[in-house]
Amino acid sequence: MKSDQLTRYFLILVFVLVPVTVSAELKPDRMGDVKTLPEQYPSQWILVHDVAFNHMFDGKTIVMDATADTIADQFKGMFNSSLVGQLAQGTVRPEIYVAETFYSRGTRGTRTDVLTIYDKSTLSPIDEVDLGNNSRALTLPLKYAVQLIDDEKLLLVYNFSPAMSVSVVDIRQRELLNVVALPGCAPIYPTGQRGFSALCGEGAIFTVQLDADGQVKSTVRSEAFFDVDADPLFAKPAIANGIGYFPSYAGDIVPIDLRDDKPIVGERWSMTDDETAGWRPGGVAIADADANGIIYMLMHPGGGDGSHSNPGLEVWAFDPVSKERLARHELKLPAISMALTRDTENPLLVVTNVEMQIDVYAAKSGEFLRTLADFGGETPLLLLGAK
Amino acid sequence: MNWIDKLVEKHSRDVAQRTSRRGFFGKLAGVLTASAVALPLLPVARGGGHQAAMPKDTGDPTSCDYWRYCAIDGFLCSCCGGSQNSCPPGTQMSPITWIGTCLNPDDDTSYIISYNDCCGKSSCGACLCMREEGDRPLYRPQLSNDYNWCLGTDSQAYHCTVALVLGTALDK
Repeated sequence: MKSDQLTRYFLILVFVLVPVTVSAELKPDRMGDVKTLPEQYPSQWILVHDVAFNHMFDGKTIVMDATADTIADQFKGMFNSSLVGQLAQGTVRPEIYVAETFYSRGTRGTRTDVLTIYDKSTLSPIDEVDLGNNSRALTLPLKYAVQLIDDEKLLLVYNFSPAMSVSVVDIRQRELLNVVALPGCAPIYPTGQRGFSALCGEGAIFTVQLDADGQVKSTVRSEAFFDVDADPLFAKPAIANGIGYFPSYAGDIVPIDLRDDKPIVGERWSMTDDETAGWRPGGVAIADADANGIIYMLMHPGGGDGSHSNPGLEVWAFDPVSKERLARHELKLPAISMALTRDTENPLLVVTNVEMQIDVYAAKSGEFLRTLADFGGETPLLLLGAK
Repeated sequence: MNWIDKLVEKHSRDVAQRTSRRGFFGKLAGVLTASAVALPLLPVARGGGHQAAMPKDTGDPTSCDYWRYCAIDGFLCSCCGGSQNSCPPGTQMSPITWIGTCLNPDDDTSYIISYNDCCGKSSCGACLCMREEGDRPLYRPQLSNDYNWCLGTDSQAYHCTVALVLGTALDK
C-alpha cells in the first residue's frame, strides 16, 4: 500500500508539473506585427514637432500621450519631415498633412517640395501632392504655415521666395489648384467659409476669398491698424471660436474676428496692469487656446526691444471675451513654446522648456504634473494639441 | 545642447547686464581689451598716427555679443570655418538677406548690417546666436530673421550666417 501511495503521489506530481513546464516556454512571436493608432487621437495626446535644428533634413514629429508616466506609455509613434516641415491635422479624414522639401542628393541637387499625406492610424505616408513651384516658406515651425479651409476640402501652404504667396491644394483630389499672390503679407489665418487672411508689412490685414476651384473670388485689404515699427503684432495668434487674438510685442491683444468673409478688427486691450508692467509675450510658439475658448500666453518680465523671443517664465490665461486674467501659472523651468490639449474637462498645458524637454501642467490650476523627457527629441520647437 | 546653452546664456547675460554691476565691469573689461588690441599701450607703437584715424571694428566675431550680430539668428560663420564677412569653404552666400541696424561701440555709429546665410550644407551647429533687436514678424521680411534666407542659392540647406556692413544708418 505504501508503495502504491507513493506511485499515486508521483503520478499526481507529474500531471501537475508537466503542464506547468510546458506553459513556461515562450511561444514563438509572430513576425511582422506593426502597431496602429486610433483614427481620432485621444484628447490628451500631443504632437511634438522637432525641427532637428542641427540637421534639418531629418525633422520629425512625435505623437505623445501627455497623461502617461512612462516613456513606453508616452511615446505612441512618429513621422518624419524634411527641411523644416510644416503640418496640419485633418479631422474630416484621418490624415496629417506635411509640407516638406527634399533634394535629390541630400543637401544638394534638384529641389522637390511636396505635401506628404500621412495616415493618422498607421503614421505611414499614403499619398503626396507635388507643390510645383518649390517655394514654400522655410521658417521656424509655425502653426499658420499650412492650413485647412472649406471643411477640409482645400489646403493652403504659405510660400516665400522671397515673393510671398499661398499655394491652394484640392486635398481630396490631391491636386495643386492655384498659387495666390500675397503682396507683402504673411502667413495664413482661415477666414470665412473659404478664405484666408494674412498680416501685412504696413500694419494691415489682407483677405482672400476663393471659389470651390481654388480661384480668387475676392480680395480686400484693410486700412493699417497697427504700427509695425512701434509695436508689431506677432504673426502667432491664439484662435478661439473663430476669433484670432493677436498679441503685440508690448503685451496688448488685438482681437480679429475671422468668422465672416471680411475680418473685423476689434478693440485693442492690454494683458498687463500696474502690477505687471514690463511683462511681455515671448518665445517661439507663444499663444494658444483651449477647447473652452480660454487663451494662454507665454510671458516674461523686463521685456524690451529684442525680447520677443525670450523664454517665458509664466503662462497667463485669459477669458478673451471679458478680458479678465484668470490665472498666472509660474513655470518650473522657463519655456520657449506652449500648447493646450483639446480636452474640455481637464485641458493640459504643455511647454517646451529651455532644456528641450516637455513639461506638463494642469491648465486650470497650473499644477505641475510631469516632464516628458528622453523621448529622442533635440529641438521640439512646436507643440500641438492632437486632433 | 548648444542651442539650450546659448539660449539660457544669452537670457542670463541680458538679465545680468541690466541688473548688476557685473554688466558694467564686463563692458569696461571689454573696452579695455579692445583698446589693447587696437591701440597697443607701448608709446613707440602710437607713433603710427594713421591707425588712429581708421574706423575701428573690434570685438570677438565668434562671440554672440559682437556688435554686428544685434539682429542675427543662426550659427556664426566665424565658428564654422568662415568669418563675420565670409562664408565657410564649399558653401554659397545668399544674395538675398534680412538686415539689422547695429551700433558699433568703437565709433558710436549705427550701421546697416546685412545678414547673409551661407548655404548648401547642413547646419554648422557651432555658436548658435539669437539676438532680436529690431527683428519683426514674417510679414516684414526684410527685418525678419525667422526665415531661412538661403534664397537665390543652388540649395536652400542652411549652414551659417555672416554679418556684412552695408553702410551707415541715416540716424543713430
